[in-house]
Amino acid sequence: MKQNRVEAFFNTITIHYKIILIISSVIFLASVAFLPKLEKDTRYDAFLPAKDSVLIQRNQLKETFGLKDPMVIAIVNEKGIFNKKSLELVYTISEQLKSIPGIDPDQITSLSTENNIIGTDYGIEVEPFFELDNLTEEKALEVSKHIDDFELYQGNLVSKDKTTTLIVAEMLDSYNKEQHEVYNSLFDLVSNIKEKDHQFYLAGEGAVSGYLIKYIDEDAMRTNPFAGLVIALILIFAYRTVRGVLLPNLMVLASVGIALGLMAAFGVDFFVITNGLPVVLIAIAVADGIHILGEYYELAVKYPDYSQKELVVATMLKMWRPITITSFTTIAGFLSIALSSYMPPMIYFGIFGALGVFVALVYAFFMIPSAMMLLKPQKSKVFKSVEKVDRFGNVMLKLGNLVIKRPKTILITAIVIIVFGIGGALKLLVNEDRIKNFQDDEPIVFADQLINQKTDGTSYLDVLIETPKEEDLFKIENLQKIELLQQHIETLPFVKGSTSIVDFIKKMNQSMNENRKEFYRIPESNELVAQYFLLYSASGDPTDFDNYVDYDYKLANIRFRMNSGEYINENEVVNKAQEFINAHFKSSDFKATLSGKVAVDAHWISKLGINHFLGAIIALLVVLIVAAFSFRSLIAGVLTVIPVTISVLFLYTVMGIMNIWLAVGTSMFAAIAIGVGVDFAVHTIDRLKYFLIEEKLPITQAYHEFYKSAGRALLFNFLALAFGFSVLMTSSVPPLNQFGFLVAIAVIVSFIGSMTLLPAIILLAKPKFFINEDNNK
Amino acid sequence: MKTLILILATFFIMNPLSSYGQNLMDGQQIAENTHAKNEGVSVKRNLIMELKDKRGKMRVRKTIALRKYFGKEKRLVIFYETPSSVKGTGFLTFDYPEASKDDDQWLYLPALRKTRRISAANRGDYFLGTDLTYEDIKLETKISKDDYNYKTLKIEKIDDNDCYLIQATPKNDAIAKELGYSKAHFWVDAKLWIMRKSESWDIAGNHLKTVKISDIKIVQEIWTYHRIDVINHKTKHETVFKFENIDYKTVLSDDYFTEEALVDGL
Repeated sequence: MKQNRVEAFFNTITIHYKIILIISSVIFLASVAFLPKLEKDTRYDAFLPAKDSVLIQRNQLKETFGLKDPMVIAIVNEKGIFNKKSLELVYTISEQLKSIPGIDPDQITSLSTENNIIGTDYGIEVEPFFELDNLTEEKALEVSKHIDDFELYQGNLVSKDKTTTLIVAEMLDSYNKEQHEVYNSLFDLVSNIKEKDHQFYLAGEGAVSGYLIKYIDEDAMRTNPFAGLVIALILIFAYRTVRGVLLPNLMVLASVGIALGLMAAFGVDFFVITNGLPVVLIAIAVADGIHILGEYYELAVKYPDYSQKELVVATMLKMWRPITITSFTTIAGFLSIALSSYMPPMIYFGIFGALGVFVALVYAFFMIPSAMMLLKPQKSKVFKSVEKVDRFGNVMLKLGNLVIKRPKTILITAIVIIVFGIGGALKLLVNEDRIKNFQDDEPIVFADQLINQKTDGTSYLDVLIETPKEEDLFKIENLQKIELLQQHIETLPFVKGSTSIVDFIKKMNQSMNENRKEFYRIPESNELVAQYFLLYSASGDPTDFDNYVDYDYKLANIRFRMNSGEYINENEVVNKAQEFINAHFKSSDFKATLSGKVAVDAHWISKLGINHFLGAIIALLVVLIVAAFSFRSLIAGVLTVIPVTISVLFLYTVMGIMNIWLAVGTSMFAAIAIGVGVDFAVHTIDRLKYFLIEEKLPITQAYHEFYKSAGRALLFNFLALAFGFSVLMTSSVPPLNQFGFLVAIAVIVSFIGSMTLLPAIILLAKPKFFINEDNNK
Repeated sequence: MKTLILILATFFIMNPLSSYGQNLMDGQQIAENTHAKNEGVSVKRNLIMELKDKRGKMRVRKTIALRKYFGKEKRLVIFYETPSSVKGTGFLTFDYPEASKDDDQWLYLPALRKTRRISAANRGDYFLGTDLTYEDIKLETKISKDDYNYKTLKIEKIDDNDCYLIQATPKNDAIAKELGYSKAHFWVDAKLWIMRKSESWDIAGNHLKTVKISDIKIVQEIWTYHRIDVINHKTKHETVFKFENIDYKTVLSDDYFTEEALVDGL
């Protein structure tokens, strides 16, 4: 756009300011009206696209065997749980669970609901471990003995030290998105039981999802207003005027409101990481306002006779270009997350983040000039005269002097950071654990630790066994393969136990042979297996084995229990298990497929690392291209990305030292840090070029002018971003907390880099883009 | 106007078809009547059990079922013919008239070449993987005389036949728990005294099962049902019992109803 056309454009805007304000408000209100539709989705399934093959398979498995994300209640009695009182509690809680809305009353597993298979003189008998009517202390001890005989339930229903027993409750599918309500009911139930010697804990995959919704809600209620407050304070320091605080905040409101409103309108769910979006947008969107107002107040001092319209148009004429570039580089950062990610929550974070920044830019172009037209010309107390520099300007001036004196030291420091950074990047640990979404002192974290320590754990690896014909799973050779697979996978680290149809068959065989231990094995003939099932059905329920074998005995599920939900541990198990399957089960008559939470985790988290580096590289490239085009210089483009590259490399070192994982929350920091942090470099290059080439000032004077004016505005831009992102550090969701911390550090490093390293390089290399003979006069 | 209402009201009360004028038979009496029906001394038939899970997968089991009264004691033997994995498996039960005496049950497993005694099942336990309970099998569609308090609700048509609809509530909690029902509705044919339909609710009051008895025909002068459909609403599991080649006439030797006969088969 030619400068006179731009002038005409802003003239038009300042003439029609009333209509523009009305339209701006209508768009904002229309978007915000959708907000109540926004739904929260904290399931880990949400991290995969609905069409993902691993997810589809897992859902089929869940459907076939009736498996769901369980809520797990642990009852702990350090004196042992095999006594009348403890078992009564198991019974009472199991019964109470049945009437809780959202809990499937037929899918509660506890000592009071499960059946024992007993070998008697006649044969086998299937009966409950105990019944409340005839429960006595002696009977309770008998149950203990029964569990000793029933390997299947050791470490699973009852901890091996017999101090803990679990009640596992599954939710109805229809309650998928109301998990938090079910969690709340269960939490109330558990909290209201007070019993001497007994402790109660609530954890499990369903509970984690359910609690997370409540948790992120409370967190958002805290961090978002706090971020707004911090930004307002910075604006007060910057301009000490009402409009200086109000106008940028209106932009922030529009950016966040419209981005989230459109999310709701398009039916996109609010995921755990979406929680970071408002705060991120608050910090970013305010920047355009800061620069526009800074320019406005400078011009107001310089041209005291200008009308408000002239002031506004002059301001926009100077600022439209840098804010467009910085907005587009930030949009590039967000979009590169969307482009490089496989997981919908991140893709949407990228898309709606980009949208929010774009909205801020549009409002900066239209709404801010229009709103200013409602007001009279005004001077800020901080901008007293053209010559006078305030305390903040002075700080920047001193920084400028340092750069002019010590450019080489600055350069060497940067090189050291780069070397360490590359080392850090190579050692970056990709890891994730959903329980780490909570602070360490949360009850659910404690419950999770306790259950994982006392029992086999609640992180499940399911293995689907497929055979071609009906009743193939009665075949001894197939049962032996299942047994072999169980034996092998159970040797892998963190795998504590497993359950399959074979365990029940072995137990039946033992029961049919006077309970002798040596008969806890697979029987000799296929027919015998079939007949055991028939015998079982003489006293057991027809649906007892639904979770382990399908109705025509073609499909089976083996469920392995791990006591770690950490990705690196899960991934190792999945890889080793897959190797074993590839080596041993090649025939089409017996197919084994890994599934369940553990396999799904391994599948998608493995993509995090590559997504992260890809996102960072795309962001750098796009920013480089945008900058090179805007400045019409490749050198200027390259210079633009230097500070952000260093900031990201610096962070890798920080992550290494502080042992921060590259996880869901943190993996997005690089692209955001690049998109946001590059703004300083853009403004630096734009302004330095202005003073050196257009104003033709001698180098020292040009630097002086730069630090005094642009440097000061950038300082406030920097403070807004750094403090804005630091607000995320007050978040009680650790991944957001770390994300905020990392971006804040990145912003600091890119700001310092743009203020020191960039001018230092220009000073030393003297590229033609900035410096020619005029400046050396 | 008043006169008109009076006339209409009088007509309504006098109308023999109105339920006000109807004298519904006492529920307990209806239950007794189902027991009075002729069942023949012995019967031999093919029993096909079709079991279907909630995903629609089926297991079909073909058996031959023999039943004979030894005085008031009833004995039932079932031999499995298909699938081949359970062929030759036999199930024998002695059902004693005394309530206090537990029934005796045996299962012969050919793969083990051993007969196993099955301990007396709870009356509410499921019978060999089907949706009917041992109690249901024992009653053979009759209605218990001792377990429930009855209330006759109305007459309703099932498959075009007038049936008494009676509501049954277990006499006490112990019985309710044993049977697994908190309430049941029975539709009993008002002429044949055969139950045509039942609905039951579990202890927690959830709708549990619907049973339909159909294809009722005269076989060798005895009214005989040929099909039972059961749907378990909680598990979505379904069972169909089909009875074929029903024969009341052939004299069944007492020797069929012994442990030895289980081993030898038919």
